[in-house]
Amino acid sequence: MKLRAITCLLIMACTFPSSTDTNTVTTPDRATFPPVADLLGKRCGTLDCHGSAYRNLRVYGSLGLRLAPTDRPLSKGMTTPQEYDADFQSIVGLEPEIMTEVVTQGGASPDRLTFVRKARGTENHKGGSLMQAGDPEDACITSWLAGKTDVAVCTSATASAF
Amino acid sequence: MRRIALFFSLLACDPVHSKEVSALPGEVPGVPHGPTHRPGQPCLLCHSGEFSVAGTVFADPNSVTAANGVSVSLLDSQGSSFVATTNEAGNFFVRKDEWEPIYPMKVSITSNGVTTPMTANVGRDGACASCHVDPVGPSSPGHVYVSIDGGTP
Repeated sequence: MKLRAITCLLIMACTFPSSTDTNTVTTPDRATFPPVADLLGKRCGTLDCHGSAYRNLRVYGSLGLRLAPTDRPLSKGMTTPQEYDADFQSIVGLEPEIMTEVVTQGGASPDRLTFVRKARGTENHKGGSLMQAGDPEDACITSWLAGKTDVAVCTSATASAF
Repeated sequence: MRRIALFFSLLACDPVHSKEVSALPGEVPGVPHGPTHRPGQPCLLCHSGEFSVAGTVFADPNSVTAANGVSVSLLDSQGSSFVATTNEAGNFFVRKDEWEPIYPMKVSITSNGVTTPMTANVGRDGACASCHVDPVGPSSPGHVYVSIDGGTP
C-alpha cells in the first residue's frame, strides 16, 4: 500500500503539462477599461501601494509608477495606452480561471475575485477597505466585470475619490 | 513595557530591516543624531515607533539645499489635518502622539505664500523618502522640493 502510494506520488511528480497545452481565458472588455484603470490608479496605484514595482498586482499610471523609462510619476501627464495594457494584464492575469467564470456569468458574484474582496476589505488587505459593495467605485469595477462598463460612474467616482 | 522591549528585540533581529538601514548613507560628521540628521532619508525606517509622518523638503529639484520654514500640510481621509514645519535641515516630523493619519492622506507644502499640492495621495507610508528618492525615474519623482516652476513637490 505504502509502496503504491509512493509510486503514485513519484509518477505525479514527474508529470508535466504539455508545452502545447492551452487554456482559454475570457477577460472583461479592454476597450472600456481606461476609466476603470483611472480609478484604480488613483485609489490603488500610489507609489507606496500598488504603484510599487515590487508588488505582484502592479498598477501603472500618470499618478504613480510609469512604464516608459522616460516618463515620470506625478507628472500630470496622461496614462499611456501601454500603461492601460499593463494594468489590464495585471488585473486579468491575477486569477484568470476565476475571472473567466465571473465574466462569462455576466459579472455575477464578483467577490469571487481576490482583488474585489481586497478592495472591499472583506479579505485582509494592508491598504484597508477602499470601497463598499454597491458604492460608485465598486460599481465602476463590477460594471466592467459585467461587460457593461459604466463610464459615467467611473469618471465621477475617480473625480470624487479622496 | 515588556512588549515594547520585545518589539525592539525582534526589530533588531530582522535581517531585512537591518539590511535596509545599513544601505542608507551614514551620519554626516559634525551633525548630531537628532532632528537635523540624515535629511532625505526614509525617516520611518528607524523612527516608525515615534513618528507617523516625516520627511525632508529641499529648495529645488537639482540640489539638496535644505528648505527651512516650509509648512507641510497633511489632510487624512477622515478630514483630520496637521501642519508641520521644516527645520534648518529641511526635515519635518510628526510625532505619533500629536497626530496619526487614517490613510489615504493628502499633502501640500507652502513656502513664501505659495502652496503646492502633491498630485497623488499618500497611500499608507508616512516616510516621504520611501517614494521620493533620487534619481528621478519611472518609479520616483525625485526628492521633495519647493516648487519653483509650478511642478510637483
